[in-house]
Amino acid sequence: MSNKEVKDYDVYEVFSQKEPTGKFESQYSLLAPNAEVALAMAQENFMRREEIPSNIFVVKRENIHYMPPEKRKALLRIDNKDYREPAHYGYIPSRWRELREKNQPKASI
Amino acid sequence: MFKPEITIHSDDPRVHDFLQRIENGEKIEVDDWMPDDYRIQLIKLISMHGISEIMGAFPEKEWVPKAPTLKRKLSLMAKVQDEVGHGQLLIRVAEDLMHPLGKTREDLLDDLFSGRLKFHNVFHMPALSWADAALIGWLVDGAAIITQKMLAATSYAPYARALKRIILEERFHAYHGEDMAIALGDGTKEQHDMMQDALNRWWPALLMFFGPPEVDGEIKSNQELNIRYKIRSKTNEELRQEYIGKYLPQIRSLGMDVPDDNIYYDENQKKWVYTHPDYTYLRDVIAKNQGPRSQNRLKLRKIGFDNNGWVREALLHNQTVTS
Repeated sequence: MSNKEVKDYDVYEVFSQKEPTGKFESQYSLLAPNAEVALAMAQENFMRREEIPSNIFVVKRENIHYMPPEKRKALLRIDNKDYREPAHYGYIPSRWRELREKNQPKASI
Repeated sequence: MFKPEITIHSDDPRVHDFLQRIENGEKIEVDDWMPDDYRIQLIKLISMHGISEIMGAFPEKEWVPKAPTLKRKLSLMAKVQDEVGHGQLLIRVAEDLMHPLGKTREDLLDDLFSGRLKFHNVFHMPALSWADAALIGWLVDGAAIITQKMLAATSYAPYARALKRIILEERFHAYHGEDMAIALGDGTKEQHDMMQDALNRWWPALLMFFGPPEVDGEIKSNQELNIRYKIRSKTNEELRQEYIGKYLPQIRSLGMDVPDDNIYYDENQKKWVYTHPDYTYLRDVIAKNQGPRSQNRLKLRKIGFDNNGWVREALLHNQTVTS
């Protein structure tokens, strides 16, 4: 059993989900000979302490495509798009109040 | 293990950009370009940290079968299991850094067995009584917590992420150790004396844990490099000062004291003045694996590694069949 190509275990990335409606979160990585062992080790290594996860998945790292470092730089965004944020429209509730007072003075409701 | 070439002073523009990123407080990922000495320093630090977690399980696990109550046995086992889990996490971080150099986990273990990879001085020490188990949980973990909290701000993101989880678990370790120490320190006279005796034997090793101090504030090249690269943010002596400031009051609250008649807090200098241990012991004895239990524990590690060899092979065999 000294086949060169399989000398090393694969790196598996581990993900877990706290509750069925929660998102999966990255939980570090481990070395394992196959997915079955990776799942068992993931449970033992990363989920023995905190609340019981509702699900775990593992992926061979070679099947994950990370954004290369040069491209990560392009993830920076120019901070000029506040019209897309709810906070930008924070004046709206008070504007409604003003309009109501202006156009429906002493309204029955 | 590796011969690091000092690249920090190189005029390579990539080194300049890298240092700029470090200056800006940016975090470095495993696939980012990095100077060789940054990579090497990280490998040295993290592999030693990781393997120390694994070797640190030995002095504590010796007391699992001899724990005084079932409750103590269960909590000590949970704690030892955590340490091995921390080793697993950290060794993964080191492996990813070693990958471009063609090195694997097996190389790390080979380096450990052949003495090229060191583990922390405290884990070369014997754990003679149950009070030693308490002391390890309380003061050895205490020293590790101080170091790890500082390292959590490291510029290398994967290490910082692993430390986040480790520190979370260490909160249990700290209370677990304090609980054991309080039970003995505030127990019967015999228990109190046991605890004091353990402290007397461990004190120099605890101080040594942080490494030699900087002579006249002059930082050794290793530390300087690590601080410049923001791998670490405090010096050995700064950490030791923090440690004494945190734990000496606890020790004294138990009616105990450290075996140093000259220790006091100097209000003017705002620091602890104390008798330093003989740091040459680290270089001349510990680094050569000639401490009281160095060889014994390395042997245990080697036996475990060899005995489990067939499991690793069997699982690999399964991999070739199914994939």
